[in-house]
Amino acid sequence: MARLRLDHVSKRYGDFHAVRDVTLDVADGEFVVLLGPSGCGKTTTLRMIAGFITPTAGGVHLADREVTGLPPWKRNAGMVFQSYALFPHLSVAQNVAFGLEMRRLAKADITTRVAEALKLVRLDHLAGRLPRQLSGGQQQRVALARALAIRPDVLLLDEPLSNLDAKLRQEVRVEIRELQRQLGLTTVMVTHDQEEALTMADRLVVMNEGSVRQIGGQRDLYERPADRFVAGFVGRGMFLTGRVEAPGRFRTEGGLALACDGGASGPAVLALRPERLEIGPAPLSGLDNSLPGTVEFISYLGAASDVHVRLSPSDRVIVQVANRGGDAAPEIGATVHVGWPATAGRLFAPGGDPPSL
Amino acid sequence: MAIASTTTAPADTAAAARLIAAEERGGARLTAAMLVTPATILVAVGLLIPLVILFRYSLNEFVTQRKLMVEAVTIANYAKFFTDPYYINVLVRTLRVAVTVTAICLVLGFPLAYVLARTQSRFKNLLLMLVVLPLFVGSAVRAAGWMTLFGSKGAINATLMGLGLISTPLEIMYTETAVIIGITAVNLPFMVLSLQSVIENIGRDVEEAAFSLGAHPLAMFRRVLWPLALPGVLAGTILTFILGMNAYATPVLLGGPKFQMMGPLVYGQFAGVNNWPFGAAISFILMTATLLLTIAANLIVQRRYRR
Repeated sequence: MARLRLDHVSKRYGDFHAVRDVTLDVADGEFVVLLGPSGCGKTTTLRMIAGFITPTAGGVHLADREVTGLPPWKRNAGMVFQSYALFPHLSVAQNVAFGLEMRRLAKADITTRVAEALKLVRLDHLAGRLPRQLSGGQQQRVALARALAIRPDVLLLDEPLSNLDAKLRQEVRVEIRELQRQLGLTTVMVTHDQEEALTMADRLVVMNEGSVRQIGGQRDLYERPADRFVAGFVGRGMFLTGRVEAPGRFRTEGGLALACDGGASGPAVLALRPERLEIGPAPLSGLDNSLPGTVEFISYLGAASDVHVRLSPSDRVIVQVANRGGDAAPEIGATVHVGWPATAGRLFAPGGDPPSL
Repeated sequence: MAIASTTTAPADTAAAARLIAAEERGGARLTAAMLVTPATILVAVGLLIPLVILFRYSLNEFVTQRKLMVEAVTIANYAKFFTDPYYINVLVRTLRVAVTVTAICLVLGFPLAYVLARTQSRFKNLLLMLVVLPLFVGSAVRAAGWMTLFGSKGAINATLMGLGLISTPLEIMYTETAVIIGITAVNLPFMVLSLQSVIENIGRDVEEAAFSLGAHPLAMFRRVLWPLALPGVLAGTILTFILGMNAYATPVLLGGPKFQMMGPLVYGQFAGVNNWPFGAAISFILMTATLLLTIAANLIVQRRYRR
C-alpha cells in the first residue's frame, strides 16, 4: 500500500473550487512534485496533507492510517515552509529539538537525534546560533533538519527553494534530492518552477485550476502531454490553431497545409516544441513538413538561439538552434526553411488555456 | 543609504564609500536631532522640572497651625507615610488593584488581540476602531455610567431582583470589585492594542510549523506564541499597570469616600488639606513603587525568556 494516498480529495470555499477531486498515490520513498501555476491548488493540496486544511470531500491516508480529520499535530508529517518558519527565539539546536520534545523523548535521545539531523544538513557547527544569525541557505537547512528530526511519515516541501538565489538553488536542489534518496524519504514538494520540478521529481503531478491535469514521469509529460495546458507548462510549447481536415492532414488558420500524426477531423491545435524544429537555407527534404518563412526576431541565449520565423500572416514558430560555433546563424529578414517530422507535433482540442509562449 | 562597502571592493573604493556613508550619517544625525528636540523640550519643561520642584517640596516641613509649607530638609513626610498603617494600607490596596486589573486585562486581552491580529476580515479596521472606541469616553464619564449600573437600585440589582434571583441588593458600588471592574474596562484597550501589534508580526507559519512538529495548541502557545508575544505582553502590562496605579476618577466615583487609592490620596493632600510637602512625598512614593515594580517585571521576564 502506498505511503500517502489522496482519495478523491476536494476543497471548496463557497463557490470556489480550490481543489477538485485529486487522487494520488505516493509510494514509499518516492519524490512527487506538485507542479502548476499560482492558484492551481497545489499548495492547498499540500496543506491538506499536512492537516492545516480539512478537505470538503475525499480522504487522506498517511502510513496506513486515515488522517483526513486529524489536526496537524496528530499526523507525522514533516513540513518545510517557504519562509522556513524557524522559531526566531530558539537556537538552531532548540529548533530541531522542538518536535522531539513534543514527542516527549528522553533528553539523551533528543540530544543524539538533534546532532544527527544537524549533521545530515552539515550545520552541526552552528547548533548554538539563532536563526537570524544564519544565511538564507543555512536557515533553509535548519528547517529541513527540523522536519527530518521527527522522522516523518512524509516530508512536505512548500516551494522550499524560492527564497534562495539562483546559484544556491541549484546546489540545494541536488542536496535535498540526495538526502531524500539516502534516507528513503517519502516526499511531496510543491513548486511552480518546472525546471526545479523536472530535476528533482520521481513523478510529477501537473495541476491547473484545482484539478490534476497529468501525473507521470518527466518523459511522459514532455513527450506525451495529456492536454494543451501540460504541453505549454512542461517544456516550451508553440500552438498553431486550425483544423484536422483528414487524419494526417492539418490546415492552420493561416492556410498552411501540414502533415500531422493522426487526428480526428475537426478544429484542433497543433503543438510543437522549438527544439524539435529544424531550420536551413534550403527546403528540408526528408522531413514531413518543410515550409519557407522569414526570420523576424532572434534571441541569443548562449548555448542556443531562438529564431522566430513567420510562416504565414497568422503563423509564427520559434526554432531553437544550438550554437555550435562556426556555422553562419540566420539573420533577421532572411528567408529560411523550417521543417519537422509529423511525429514531432501533437494535436489537442482547441480552446482552454492560452499558449504559454 | 548608508551601505558602507562590500568585501570585494578595492580598498580605496571602500574607504571612499565609508567617507560618504559617514557624511550621510552626519546629516542624518542633524535631522534626527531636529526631530526629537521639540518633544524633548516639552518633556523636560512639563515633567522633569515640576518633578524636581516636587521632590524639593517633599523634603519641606508642614506647619499645621498656619497650614503652610516651611523650607527644610527632612524625611519626616516619608517617615509619616511608612509609619502610619492607614497610608501603608492605601499603598497596598493600590498595588493590589493595579496588579489585579493588569492580570485581568492580560487574560481578557490576549484572546481578543490574537483574533484581531489574525483576522482576514475586511472589517478589521472597524474592529480595531471598536477596541479604541471606549477611549472616546473619558474615565470620569464612564465611571458615572457604571454608577447607574452598580448602585443598589442600579440596572444590575434591579434586573436580578426583578427576576427573583436575589432578594436583597448586591453591594457592588463602593467596593474594590467595582473599582477593579471600572479600571479594567478603561485599561483593556491599551492592553489589546499593545498585544495586537506584536502578535500581528508573528508569522502564522511559525504557529503552523509548531503544529506540524506535533505541538497541540496549548503547547504551541506556551513554547512559541507566548515567548514571541512577550514584548507586547510587557508593553501592555506596563501600560495597564501604570494606569492602574495612578487611577483617579474611577476609584473616587466607584470606590466612594472610604475607598482610598494613591491617586486620590495625593489630590486630597494638595487640594483638601493643603499639605503640599506630604502630597509631594506620596507622589514620589507612588512613582517609585510603580517604577520599581515595572523594572522588576522587566528583569524577571528578560531573565526568564532571553537566552
